[in-house]
Amino acid sequence: MKKLISILLALAIVVTVLSACGSSSPDPVANQTVSDDGRKILNVGRSNELFDMDSTIATEADCLEVISAIIEPLFYTGPDGTPVNALAESYEVNESGTEYIFHIRQNANWMNGTPVTADDFVFAWRRLVDPVNASEYSFMMEVAAVKNATPIICGEMAPEELGVYAVDSKTLKVEIDHPVTYFLNLMTFPSFCPINEAYATEKGSQYALGADNLLCCGPFYMSAWEVGGNTYQLKKNDSYYDAEHVYLDEINFQIIKDSQQTMLAYENGDLDYVRLSGDQVARYQNYEGFTRIEEGYLWYLSPNLNPSSTELSTGLENLNLRMAIALSYDKEIICNELLKDGSIPANFAIPNKLAIGPDGKDFRETTDTYLKTDKAKAQEYWEKAKAELGVDEVTIELIYDDSDATPTIAQFLQSEIENTLPGVHLDLKAQPKKSRTDLMQKRNYEMGLTRWGPDYADPMTYLDMWTTGSTYNYGEWSNAEYDQLIADANGELANDPAARWEALKQAEKLVMDNAVILPVYQKGTAAMVRPGITGISFFPVGVGTIYKSVDIVK
Amino acid sequence: MLKYTAKRILLAVVTTFLILTLLFIMLQAMPGSPFNDEKITQVQRAALEAKYGLDKPLYIQYFNYVKSMLRGDFGVSYVIQKNMPISELLKVRVPVSLQIGGQAVILGTIIGIFLGIVAAIKRNSFADSFATFVSVIGVSFPSYVFALAMSYFIGFKMEWLPLLYTTSHPFLSTIMPTISMCMFSMATVARFARTEMVEVLGSDYMTLADAKGIPTRRLIGVHALRNTLIPIITVLAPLTMELMTGSLVVEQIFAIPGLGSLLVTAIQFNDYNVVLAVIFFYSIAFILMMLVVDILYGVIDPRIRLAKEERKV
Repeated sequence: MKKLISILLALAIVVTVLSACGSSSPDPVANQTVSDDGRKILNVGRSNELFDMDSTIATEADCLEVISAIIEPLFYTGPDGTPVNALAESYEVNESGTEYIFHIRQNANWMNGTPVTADDFVFAWRRLVDPVNASEYSFMMEVAAVKNATPIICGEMAPEELGVYAVDSKTLKVEIDHPVTYFLNLMTFPSFCPINEAYATEKGSQYALGADNLLCCGPFYMSAWEVGGNTYQLKKNDSYYDAEHVYLDEINFQIIKDSQQTMLAYENGDLDYVRLSGDQVARYQNYEGFTRIEEGYLWYLSPNLNPSSTELSTGLENLNLRMAIALSYDKEIICNELLKDGSIPANFAIPNKLAIGPDGKDFRETTDTYLKTDKAKAQEYWEKAKAELGVDEVTIELIYDDSDATPTIAQFLQSEIENTLPGVHLDLKAQPKKSRTDLMQKRNYEMGLTRWGPDYADPMTYLDMWTTGSTYNYGEWSNAEYDQLIADANGELANDPAARWEALKQAEKLVMDNAVILPVYQKGTAAMVRPGITGISFFPVGVGTIYKSVDIVK
Repeated sequence: MLKYTAKRILLAVVTTFLILTLLFIMLQAMPGSPFNDEKITQVQRAALEAKYGLDKPLYIQYFNYVKSMLRGDFGVSYVIQKNMPISELLKVRVPVSLQIGGQAVILGTIIGIFLGIVAAIKRNSFADSFATFVSVIGVSFPSYVFALAMSYFIGFKMEWLPLLYTTSHPFLSTIMPTISMCMFSMATVARFARTEMVEVLGSDYMTLADAKGIPTRRLIGVHALRNTLIPIITVLAPLTMELMTGSLVVEQIFAIPGLGSLLVTAIQFNDYNVVLAVIFFYSIAFILMMLVVDILYGVIDPRIRLAKEERKV
């Protein structure tokens, strides 16, 4: 009898606990106001620690966001995606588009009272390209085509040779090799932020390691950042030149690794702005405060046309085989039933809402779509491929990351491709991301499921990748016409934005017609922003959220 | 006793060294490098590897590593907080983990022993069933189930305790993590205590002591308890370690900036130095714990010490 009671009791507890875990769908109403005693405080949830605060070293999106809030760039990205003046009060560009003069605001000062000068930029920019620092984002200087950036990064020239000069204390001159239509957009990127030379030199290796080792000049300053802690905090910088247009008094960041707890903390009122994980998107999409974000990340299959060893030869150098695979899987199902996070099927190589053209329209709005799922056509291509290759079956090894939703996607792709194209076999091989990247960089793979995130708001951030000899041209596709188009877009067409835009469209068409990559989806995600908070923007490129413009209106 | 202790310590040192070597070999066998990102070119990667000495031959890397470890210098983080000395990272995280782990061990052991003894004395009563029931729950549910359930009901619904760890309430915000983590050790200790106590109570010397007219409280509290403690101490060492390593998930749930979450992040981002440092720290803690247990055996039950010493002669 006692045993029976114990068992029943145990069961009761199990049921209670399990139901508690499963049915947590509390009402979405905020139970706590954000601003008390008139101070406006924003509480932000983050899933990762703050890795670096040195603008010449940082690469993580979270870090870039904070850097641009505490150390201002020359320009911010405006609400419509175009640059608005930040530290730069005005600028001039010469007729050939190869020389920029930036006038730094007279009233822009560091928090220790010294003015922000052109020398601070020169110092930071040289630091970015100095090979001694091995900065991961030094290539941004090459993207901006700043004179001598490439030889300096390769160690063939001294960093002092970089084409950036302080004309006087508030005038910065930049020489670039060829016109770059998106140069001002690039200047919003935190890698181009200034660093106070005297301060950084004094701090030496301690610079930017902790809140006490940072000198700020932006709308906020870092008031707390415990080393290895789970919180960090920004406060309003009262000495900022435009302090009257900074609305928040304090921003608290809380690191929570568990996405479910993050949502509890949001519903609790502890957090006001959090990112949702993929599986939470479907659940919260009808809640007030739900905000969809289109990320710039494009996920695609990369077939290797020229593997490093003959053992990896698969027939993927055959265009018909690549086309067959590209059309054989249902992208809608992947987005709407597997991911359910707002991702959209990718029938393109340049993501949606990445870049605005000279016509003021998004690149995608005026361009065709390609490689839309068509299983019947896929089979036709497969028949042709079989005839051309003289085989009935091919086996392709697919490598992919072992994290998040990727394994599910890989399994689905396998079943779709194998079912649509009888005779095509896909061997799945999951890898930790770092080793998957390693294999692909060494061209030591057959087909990889990979992604690319944009670094700047221009189609070139993708198209550049598939030129002959590019490190990121994993599949080793090579096409003279394509290389010429890209060279033109970077060179002679740079002063003719409309013609350049056309060339980029041509280039994308070539990539798609040749099935250089087999696009799968463009990643979507979502955030919860407490109603009453305004000005939180989501840019797919560079700095995601600009906190200067954020306000709490209740 | 001195010789016994010295031998234990020597053994501990050798084990430490072996673990260090093993860790190094294992990490070398791991694929990828910490700098393997899409956006880095091979040239830059080589520069980074040179900067951190990862381009050197393995034996030199190993030699450098052991040398600095012995000096207490764990190197700098490559990824998590670039160029930050790892000892700085550990300095803030170790106390947090130790505090919560320690609280959980102490709470779990006290409640566990209490439950076990009550169950043993009042065998086959309601108290016994209750204790058994609690142990079954404690052993069979992973700590994160308690953590999630508590954070939902107590932290979120009732708002009695902070949902997340915060330095402004260093004790209040560790209550839920402590309770969820102590459940397993409590259950284990309770089971051991009960079994052992039942055995001790039925032994001849207890019957003798009882016959001599020693009061029950003293009988249980001194004579029985002391003998019951031996197996409990044996399980306590691994339990304590489990609490520290098993705290990974609980730390994630309550956003505790402890060692566990550091380890997980370091593994995810291939931050070699940090992984090595944290695991090394865990190993040292485990070895020390075992050392203390070995020595405690001797103190609590002289038979063990004597037996071991006799065997040596």
